[in-house]
Amino acid sequence: MRRTARKHVVAAALCGLAVAGGAHPDRSPAASPVLTQPLSPAAALGRKLFFDASLSASGKLSCASCHSPTHAYGPPDGRAVRMGGVALDREGMRAVPSLRYTLARTPHWSEDVTASLAERIRDAEAPAGGFGWDGRFDTLHEQAAFPLLAPNEMANAGPAAVVAKLRAAPYAPEFRQVFGARILDDTDAAFAQVLQAIERFELEDGSFHPYSSRYDLYLDGKVQLTAQEKRGLALFDDPERGNCASCHLDQIGADGSHPLFTDYEMEALGVPRNPEIHANADPHYFDMGLCGPLRTDQAAKTEYCGLFKTPTLRNVATRKVFFHNGRFHTLREALRFYVRRDTGPGLWYPAGKAGAAEKFDDLPPALRANVDRGDAPLDRQQGGAPVWNDAEVDDVVAFLRTLTDADAADAGSPLR
Amino acid sequence: MPGIGVRKLTILAFAAAVSFAGLNAQGQGGGQDDAGHVATAAAGIRHVFVILLENKNYEDTFGNSTQDPYLQKQLVSQGALLTRYFGTGHVSLDNYIALISGQSPTPDTADDCPNFTNVEQTGTTGDGQVIAAKGCVYGSGVRNIVDQLKARGLSWKGYMEDMGNDPARESATCGHPAVGGRDNARSFQGPSEAVPQGDGYVTRHNPFVYFHSIIDSPDCNAHVVRLEALPADLTSAATTPGFALIAPNLCNDGHDGSGDGRSRCKNGEPGGLASIDAFLQAWVPKITSSPAFQKDGLLVITFDESNSTMEKTTDPQTGATITNFVFPGKACCGQQPGPNLAGVRPGTTALGGKSSFVYEGFGGDRVGALLLSPFIKPGSTSDTAYNHYSLLRSIEDILGLDGHLGYAANDRSRGYVLDTIGNDRAIFREADKPRAK
Repeated sequence: MRRTARKHVVAAALCGLAVAGGAHPDRSPAASPVLTQPLSPAAALGRKLFFDASLSASGKLSCASCHSPTHAYGPPDGRAVRMGGVALDREGMRAVPSLRYTLARTPHWSEDVTASLAERIRDAEAPAGGFGWDGRFDTLHEQAAFPLLAPNEMANAGPAAVVAKLRAAPYAPEFRQVFGARILDDTDAAFAQVLQAIERFELEDGSFHPYSSRYDLYLDGKVQLTAQEKRGLALFDDPERGNCASCHLDQIGADGSHPLFTDYEMEALGVPRNPEIHANADPHYFDMGLCGPLRTDQAAKTEYCGLFKTPTLRNVATRKVFFHNGRFHTLREALRFYVRRDTGPGLWYPAGKAGAAEKFDDLPPALRANVDRGDAPLDRQQGGAPVWNDAEVDDVVAFLRTLTDADAADAGSPLR
Repeated sequence: MPGIGVRKLTILAFAAAVSFAGLNAQGQGGGQDDAGHVATAAAGIRHVFVILLENKNYEDTFGNSTQDPYLQKQLVSQGALLTRYFGTGHVSLDNYIALISGQSPTPDTADDCPNFTNVEQTGTTGDGQVIAAKGCVYGSGVRNIVDQLKARGLSWKGYMEDMGNDPARESATCGHPAVGGRDNARSFQGPSEAVPQGDGYVTRHNPFVYFHSIIDSPDCNAHVVRLEALPADLTSAATTPGFALIAPNLCNDGHDGSGDGRSRCKNGEPGGLASIDAFLQAWVPKITSSPAFQKDGLLVITFDESNSTMEKTTDPQTGATITNFVFPGKACCGQQPGPNLAGVRPGTTALGGKSSFVYEGFGGDRVGALLLSPFIKPGSTSDTAYNHYSLLRSIEDILGLDGHLGYAANDRSRGYVLDTIGNDRAIFREADKPRAK
C-alpha cells in the first residue's frame, strides 16, 4: 500500500509550447558528461532544429524562443503565456516549463493500477508522469510534434509544411547525410526523424543537466549553505509545515545522484484564475489539466479535473512566471499563496456573490472538491496562522535560490 | 475475529513470562513450546524456496479465477494444496516480517511504513514480542530467520525482482531507504528514458531490510540481491541457498493490474493473477529443475494477505451512502494479535465521509498455499490450518534451526498451537519412504 503523498507545488512553472522538465539518463553529476560529450549525429541535427526559427509559420519562433537556454530552458520573460501563430498574435495556453533535468527521468503517464480497490482508495496514489503539464505525451518525440503544429505556437499546417521548410534549411544536406539521401522525399519519414532528432538533442546535450547550482555543490560538500538557506531548507522539508519535499524530492539518491525536486505526480492546487490569459475572459472556459480540454483521453474522469504535473524546482528562482497558468510572477508571491491559500483566501480569490472569497475559481464549482485540502500546508482553516510567516517565506526563497544553475544565475528574476 | 484482539491483549499483558530454554532472552520464543521434530519425509528437505505473492483470496486463486490456470491446475496437480493457509495481518509488510521473524505488527508495520523509521522498542513480552508504539526497523537484538540460518551454518538469500532498476531510487543490493527517511520505493515507477523497464520493486515486500542485524551487516549486499541472480545460484546444490525468499515486482506478484485487461500494470503487463501465472511459468521450472530442488527442495507459493470485500451502508445522520472496505481479519491457529495493536486492529478508519476501512480482526484471512517438493504426494490436499507463523515454524523444524522465533513458538498455556507443515501426513510422504531418485 502507499500512503498518500499529495502534492503541493511550491512554485510551478508553466507549460505550453513544449515539453516539461529536463535531464539526461546519467543522473549523477559525477557521471554526467555535461557539455563535453560529443552529440550523436541525430542529436547534433536536433540542436539545429531546436534553434531554427525558420521552422515556424511566422519564421520567428523556434523551440528556443520559449525554452531559452540562457534561462535554464525556461521562459525568457514574465509573460504568463507566450504568443505564437502565423502572425505571432495568438496566445499559448499555458506557461512554459523549464526543460532542464527531468526529461530522461519523466516516467510514462500512468494512474494508480493497484488491483485492490480498497488500497487504491486508501492510499490515493496520484496519476503521474508524461510530458506536458497534463502528462499527455509519453515520449519526447511524441511531444515535439505538438508545438511544431499547434496553431498558436509554431503553426505549421502539417508535417509537410515542416518538411518543406526543412528542405530549404542550410542543414538539409546534413539531414540527408544522417538519415538517408532520399529522406526529405518522404514527408512522414522525414517528420518522424525531425522529432527523433529533437528528442536526442534534449536527452544528450549536457546543457540540459549541468548540476552547477550551489545546492549541488552543497550536496558534494564543496560549499556551505548560509544560515538563512539552512532555515529555508528545514522549512521546505518539515512535513508538518511546508511539506514541500514530499513532492519536490530533495534527498540524494541511493546511487549518489542529486535530486530533481519533483515526483512527477499530478496535483490540484487550486491556483487562482489568471485574467492575463485572454481565454479566461470567457467564464465558461476552464483549463482543467488532466481532464482537458487540451488533453482528451481522460475527459470522462472528472476526479482528474484541475490536476497538473508537479514541476521540478531546479532553477525556479530564475523564473518570472509560476504555476501552470502563470498566475504569479515572483517566487515570494507564489510561496505566500501556497501557505496562505486557505488561511487568507481573500488575498487570492475574487469575492463571490455572498461576499466571501470564491476559492478555486479556475475550476467549475462542481469540480472544486478535487483540490487538495488534506496535505500540509493546504489543510489549514480560514483565519488560522499560515505555516510560514513572511520572514520564513524569505528563508525558503533563499533556499530555492540555491537551486539556480551557475549559467542561469544572471537570468534570475527579481524575487519581490 | 471481531473483538478477540482486545481480550487477548489483556490476557497477554498479565500473563507470566516463561522463557523457553535455549532461546534468545531478547524475546524470541514462547512460553511452553515444543521441540521441533519432523515426522515425515519432509525431514529430508535442505533447500526451502518461498515465492510470496500479493493480496488474493483463496477462493479466487485456487477456485474461481480463470487467469491462473498454470497455478490452479498444473501446479496444484503436481504439489500439495494447503486449503486453510492464512495471512497473519493486513496490510502487507506485517505479513512479510511475521514470516521471517515471528514478530507481530507495530502500528507502523501494519501500515506499510511510509517512513523507514527505527522501531522504538520499550520492552519485550514473555512470548518474545517486541513492544513498540511505533517504528519499522527492528533493533539488532531482535532475531530473525537469518540469525538462525547463520547459526546453523546454512546459507540464505532474498531475490527481489526489479530492485535497483532505478539506482537513484534504491540500490540493486539490499535496497532500502535511509533509516529515518521517507520510503520512495512504494509504487511501481513507470518506464522512462533513464529507466526503460520501470521499477516495480517496493521496500515493503523485502522483509530483510527491516532488521538492523541484516542491513548493518555487509552480508546484506551479498544476500539480498536481484532476481536475476537466481539462475546462476541454481546451477548447483552447493550454490543454492538453504533458504530463499523470492519477491516478484509489483506487477508479477499480482499487486497491480486487474489481469483481465481492464487495468494494466505501469509496464504494460496485465498484472493480477495473469501476471502471477506468467511469473510462475517462467520461474517455477527453473527452481524445480535445479539440482538442489531435485535433491532435497521445497517450494512454497503463497500470498501475504487476502483482498477486502466491499459493502455499502447508509450514514444514519446524513443519509449518505458509505462504501465500506471490509477486511475480515480472520486468523487461524489461535494466533495472537501481539502487544502493539490496541486501537489499530480491530478498527475502523473513515476516509472523508465517503468510505471506511473496517478491520474486523487482526488476521490476514485465508489465502492458501501451494507446496512443491520431491517429498510431497503430488495432487495432495491438506485442510489443516496454517499461517505465516506456522510456515516459519515449519522451516525452522525442517532445517533444524535453533528454536522458534516469536509467534512461531507454541504457547500451550494460552491455547496457541501451531502445526508444523512438515508433519502433515496428508501431503508429505512417510519418512521411511523417500522419493525414488
